[in-house]
Amino acid sequence: MTDLLQEIEVQIAGAKAATAKQNVGVIREIGDGVARIEGLADAMLNEMIDLGHGITGLALNLDETEVGVIILGDYTQLHEEDEVRATGRLLQVPVGKGLLGRVVNTLGEPLDGKGPIKSDVTYPVEKIAPGIIRRSPVRQPVQTGIMAIDAMIPIGRGQRELIIGDRSTGKTTICTDTIINQARLNKAAEAAEDKEYRPLYCIYVAIGQKQSSIAQIIAVLEKTNAMPYTIVLASPASDSAANQYLAPFAGAAMGEWFMDHGMDALIIYDDLSKHAVAYRQISLVLKRPSGREAYPGDVFYLHSRLLERAARVGEKYGNGSLTALPIIETKAGDVSAYIPTNVISITDGQIYLETDLFYQGVRPAISVGLSVSRVGSAAQVKAMKQVAGQLKGDLAQFRELAAFAQFGSELDPKTQAQIDRGKRIIELFKQPQHSPIPTEVQIAMIGAVQQGYMDDVPVDRVKDFQAGLTEFLTTRKIELLRRIAREKALSEALTAELKAAADQFRQTWK
Amino acid sequence: MKTTRQIKREAKRLFRFCLVNGLLDEARTRQVVQRIIDAKRRGGLALLSDFQRLVKLDSARHTAKVESAMPLPDDLRVSVQTGLARTYGLGIHASFAQNPELIGGMRIKVGSDVYDGSVRARLAELEKNF
Repeated sequence: MTDLLQEIEVQIAGAKAATAKQNVGVIREIGDGVARIEGLADAMLNEMIDLGHGITGLALNLDETEVGVIILGDYTQLHEEDEVRATGRLLQVPVGKGLLGRVVNTLGEPLDGKGPIKSDVTYPVEKIAPGIIRRSPVRQPVQTGIMAIDAMIPIGRGQRELIIGDRSTGKTTICTDTIINQARLNKAAEAAEDKEYRPLYCIYVAIGQKQSSIAQIIAVLEKTNAMPYTIVLASPASDSAANQYLAPFAGAAMGEWFMDHGMDALIIYDDLSKHAVAYRQISLVLKRPSGREAYPGDVFYLHSRLLERAARVGEKYGNGSLTALPIIETKAGDVSAYIPTNVISITDGQIYLETDLFYQGVRPAISVGLSVSRVGSAAQVKAMKQVAGQLKGDLAQFRELAAFAQFGSELDPKTQAQIDRGKRIIELFKQPQHSPIPTEVQIAMIGAVQQGYMDDVPVDRVKDFQAGLTEFLTTRKIELLRRIAREKALSEALTAELKAAADQFRQTWK
Repeated sequence: MKTTRQIKREAKRLFRFCLVNGLLDEARTRQVVQRIIDAKRRGGLALLSDFQRLVKLDSARHTAKVESAMPLPDDLRVSVQTGLARTYGLGIHASFAQNPELIGGMRIKVGSDVYDGSVRARLAELEKNF
C-alpha cells in the first residue's frame, strides 16, 4: 500500500508541472484516410498528431495555412471542426526480444491474442541510416538452406538482396525457407552451446497481402518451430494505406534494435510493389504532384531510405547487422518497369524468378543468368567456394550449348558431357519447399556432382541419388559432415574422405 | 479560365496587399472585397472564399481568446494583455470569456498556440497518466 501511495504522489507531482504551450489545430477536411488541418503552425514533418478518440496521425504535408495528416486508426470517429494537438514526438514502435514469436501490426500492437507486448524500449519508425564510417564489409553468410542460392548467389549478413519475379513464382517461399533454416541453425547452436555462433533473428513484414496468405505463412512458421526466432509484422490489404506505407519502416526499426545491440537480424519486405502503391495512394490524396505511372516524385527515396537502413556495422559499434530481402512483383516478367528498376539499382543484387522455369518444374525457379549477388563469394564459407566456384560458368556454358543442341546435330563427346553435366546440376538444384538443406550437405552434394559421381546417373534419378547420398552421409558419415561444418574449408584430407564416402555409396547404390 | 491554383495565388497576392507593417489594414481589406464583387468576373466567388479564409486565419493569429472559470478582475486582464503583447507583438487583441467547464484557472488560445492552465486540463492529464 505504501508503494502505491508513493506512486500516486509521484504521478500527481508530475501532473502539477507548469503550463506548457500546446500546438493545436482544427480539422477542416477529412476523407480517404487523410485529414487537412487548419492551424498547427509549429507542426514538424512526421510529427505525431493527437486527433482525439485515441487516434493518432502523422503530419506529412506542411502547407502554408494547413497541415496534411495521415490517420493511423479508425478515421470514421473523426469529424470536421474537431480540435487536434501536436504531440512534439515522432512515431515510435516497441522493439526488443519481447516481440519474437509475436504477430503485430504497424504500430507494434499485438494481433495474435497472446497478451501485451513485453517491451520497454521504443525506436522511431523513421531513422537515418548508418553512416559510411559506422559500416564494415559484408563477410558473414546468411545460409538460406536453398542450394541454388547458397552456391551461386550467396547472401551475406548486412546485404540487400532483391527477390523479383512474377506472381506465384516462389518469392515468398524462398523467404520462408530462409527463416526456417535460420531457426534450425539457431536451435542447433543453442543445443550445442556454441558460443561462437551468432543467431540470426527474422522479421517478416507483410504489406498489402491477403490475410489468408499471412495466416498460411504463420502456420508454416509455427509448424516448423521457426516462430520463436521470428517477428511477423502484418499490414494486410484491409489495412489503411497509411499503415501499409509505414509497415516496412516499423519493421526496419525492430531490426535496427538487434543491429544496434550487436546481434544479426534478417528482414523480409513482402512486397515493396504494394508498398509503392500504398504510398502512391497517400500522395495522390494529399494532392502531391504525380510523376511517372502516377507515382510521386520521391518514390525512389521511399525505398532507398528504407533499404539503406540494412547494413553491417563495425566492431566499434557492436558488430551487428541487418540483412534485407525485399520482394518485388513484376508483371509479365518486365524487370524494366519503374518500381523494379528503382529497387534493382538500390539493392546489392537480385534473385530473378522466371515463370517459364517454374512451369518446367525447376523450383526454385531461379534464373542463374539474370540473378546476381554483388557481395558474391566474400559471403560464402570457403568450402562452398571451393566446390561451387565454377558452377555459374558451367551453367552459362550449358545454356548456350543446350540451345545449340536443339538443332539435333551430332555433338563431340566433350560438348555432350557438358550438356549432360548441366542437366544434372539443374536437377540437383531442384528443392521442395520448406525443406532447407544444411550447408555441409550442400557442399557434399555439389562436390559429388562436380567430381562426376552423378555423370552416369539418369537425370530423372538424380534426386533419388541425392536423397540416398544425403541419408548415407547423415547416418554413417555424420562425423565427416560435422568436420566440414566446423572447419568450413575442404582440406586435402577432407576432400579425400569425401571422395571415399561418395565411392562407398556409389558402389552400393542401384 | 483561372485554375484553383491561380485563384489561390491571386487571393494570397491580394491579402499581402492588405497588410500594412505586418498587420491587416481594415480599410484596404474592405476595398479589395468591394472591388472583387464589383468586377463580377468568373472565379470571383472562389477568390473571395480563399481571401476570406486568409483573413480569418490572420485574425485568429492576432486574436487571443482568454477563457476563465470565473470573471477576471481588471488588473489581471491588463496583466494578461501585457503578457500577450510582449509575446506576440502589439497587434494582438484579447477577448475574455467565461467558461465554467474549466472548473478553475485560465485557458488562452492565440492562433494555434494554446496555454491551458485550467483545472480541467490538469485532471485530464492526471487521468491520462494513470
